[in-house]
Amino acid sequence: MSGPLEGIRVIDFGQFLAGPFGPMLLADLGAEVIKVESIHGDGMRHHNVGPFLGCQRGKRDIALDLKKPEGLDVALRLVATADVVHHNMQKGIADRLGIGHEHCRAVRPDVLYCNTYMYGPVGPYSHLGGLDPLGQAASGIEWEQGPVTEGNPPLWYRYGHGDIAAAIPSVFGVLVALFHRANTGVSQSVWTSILHGSMLHTADSWLTADGTPSPRGTLDREQLGLGALYRLYETRDGWLQLAAVRPEHWPALCAVLGRAELASDPRFATPDAREERRAELTALLAEAFRADRALAWVRALDAAGVPAEISADTRDGETLLFDEDLVRLGLVTEHAHPLLGRVRQFGNLMTFSDTPTRPERPAPLYGEHTREILTELGYDESAVDDLHARGAVASAPEKYPYPV
Amino acid sequence: MQALDGVRVLDLTGGIAGPLGVLQLAEHGADVIKIEPPGGRPGRAEPASVVYDRSRRSVTLDLKSADGARLFRELLATADVLVEAFAAGTMAGLGLDYADLRDEFPRLVYCAVPAWPSGSRFADRPGYDALVSARAGLHWEVPSHRPGPVFQHSPVASLAAAYLVPVAIMGALVARQRTGRGQRVEVSLLAGAMSLTTQNWNWTDSGQHGLPNSFPSIHQAGIYECANGEWIHAAMVTGGRPTRTEGEILGIEDVPPAVVFAMSPGERAAHETKKAAAFARRDRAELIDELHAAGRNAEPIGPPHERFRHPQLLATGSVVEVVDPEAGRTTQVGPVVFLEATPGAVAGPRPVAGAHTDEVLGALGHDAAELAGLRAKGVI
Repeated sequence: MSGPLEGIRVIDFGQFLAGPFGPMLLADLGAEVIKVESIHGDGMRHHNVGPFLGCQRGKRDIALDLKKPEGLDVALRLVATADVVHHNMQKGIADRLGIGHEHCRAVRPDVLYCNTYMYGPVGPYSHLGGLDPLGQAASGIEWEQGPVTEGNPPLWYRYGHGDIAAAIPSVFGVLVALFHRANTGVSQSVWTSILHGSMLHTADSWLTADGTPSPRGTLDREQLGLGALYRLYETRDGWLQLAAVRPEHWPALCAVLGRAELASDPRFATPDAREERRAELTALLAEAFRADRALAWVRALDAAGVPAEISADTRDGETLLFDEDLVRLGLVTEHAHPLLGRVRQFGNLMTFSDTPTRPERPAPLYGEHTREILTELGYDESAVDDLHARGAVASAPEKYPYPV
Repeated sequence: MQALDGVRVLDLTGGIAGPLGVLQLAEHGADVIKIEPPGGRPGRAEPASVVYDRSRRSVTLDLKSADGARLFRELLATADVLVEAFAAGTMAGLGLDYADLRDEFPRLVYCAVPAWPSGSRFADRPGYDALVSARAGLHWEVPSHRPGPVFQHSPVASLAAAYLVPVAIMGALVARQRTGRGQRVEVSLLAGAMSLTTQNWNWTDSGQHGLPNSFPSIHQAGIYECANGEWIHAAMVTGGRPTRTEGEILGIEDVPPAVVFAMSPGERAAHETKKAAAFARRDRAELIDELHAAGRNAEPIGPPHERFRHPQLLATGSVVEVVDPEAGRTTQVGPVVFLEATPGAVAGPRPVAGAHTDEVLGALGHDAAELAGLRAKGVI
């Protein structure tokens, strides 16, 4: 195992997405991550194969029942070996289960403890759980994507922005805490939330002294762009994204379209004029682009120095997941999964020149490593069997009940 | 005391992912020095710069001049991290690529934030955010009420990369504590785009696994208009044990999601109409209070600036006042990662371009006369 976090061990008690995505990134960075899964199975594992694969790779898995004393005992023995405990339980639940910060500190005084939330552990909503769409709503992106000001309903982004907005900052927080502990010996807890993390999407929205919001670009009613020159255009065979952002791009674009006279047309001479006549200019360009194929346009625009790309329909990611360059550069990874066969998905999101990383394994099966992990903890075979018999722990059954 | 006290970051970045990514380091104690061309970086004209460039100092330096490059190398000798977001080849052209620096500065963490992954066949192409979204296929990943690709108002690839930049830098700093050496880390905007695909792009031998790419997508179904044209996002699934059902609160029949999905289009439309009418009768604020009291979830949908009134952001001290030298008194969102022993905090407003040039270079031993001469030559 290599990677910047070699030698760091993480115990991941989270489930669904906003929690587990963080420990997955820690595993991507070379940490050893053990997923402690509920004996009843991670809620995501039951129904959502894709999202499960997308936040659980790189981990080993032990399934146990925290409500049984023997199960809790195993969990705390694991914590005693760990640098980091991470989860996304609602406020109070970890304490009730016996794996709260104080419980973990009792078995591992220098443990770093991270809990991600919907809203945070303090404040009038701290008792509430939640999920991604609430973060998208609160950040304002659903409103702006409508755009509601153009008479459309708000639009939810299908990515799960809000979940990773809690998760990735939690990884930052854990790494900062690790860094600080190595420098000073001081350990601490960290929290992030879907709400707070989602605020980074629109961090650039601010108020003046009298409460006026800072100016922001506006999407058009068709949801195609932020102005005539930074927009999607339909061609004879597909769509292209135009980004004629700099002053010199405008006359070059006119030349490519065979409309060189537009470059000196006073209607469109300046960025302000073009914004004022956004609809008129858009209609003009839309008609022009329909005359030829997307690839022909992009080649001509490339030659003229006008930024543009074909807006690729990747067929649910297939073309990118099989792009040779992305595979070679490690942005795509492939593993063998016991049930699903080959699994291709995103690879390294960050690259490190001297401590290189490689996602080590696909998302684990339920209880796939229960026996292995218990043996490492020092339980002998009869003790392991006994824990299974009591229902304190579980291994993947022969008739595997889950889709992933 | 903050966790990153003593960590010096030289921030050469423009755009979004670089400055916003570095902001998180700055607000946990790092001494971030923005290195800008004399006159300031061009992106300062954008309103976003008021937030993205805060919490750091500013030194203006002409890196293309021999004197400027020399002064920059003196700064590098005091720095832990360099962050740049230039087009491919720019730093190499200045003689400041990682290959140029690693031997002389073995502890340096060099963070590159290019639009495209280094070494890719498209690495030299222009990298505006929407172009990255286009090549990454993201326009086809957000189903909407009309067919075809959807341009995202938010620069999603850049924002996604902004989350990852401080993680990559911290990963390298943690590794350096073990190895004693720096390294080059990279977060491209395309990698940011890939981070948004993790739930939906999982190709297997048994098929593609992800949320259906059709409209209305699962959580779109929770968006309703209340009285007075106010929109609400009422979550379809909710954690915990709510004490009342959504139907009880709205005064309509509860229909389990599984039953809804199995309805014929006509039945479903009728169901939706009834539900929409129920929401339309309700005052949004009252309805949210009632939902919360029952342990259920909902959020108002509105423009970004309305969140400055959000009770949770207020309760956590996340709505902060920052006095910007140009914009005056502003209200902004503060740090979003909470550390118990070493809390983060805004470290100051966006600096005037070059406000700290004399202070920083003076600390390296350059006296006022020398600095005046360099200023006259346009080096600083």
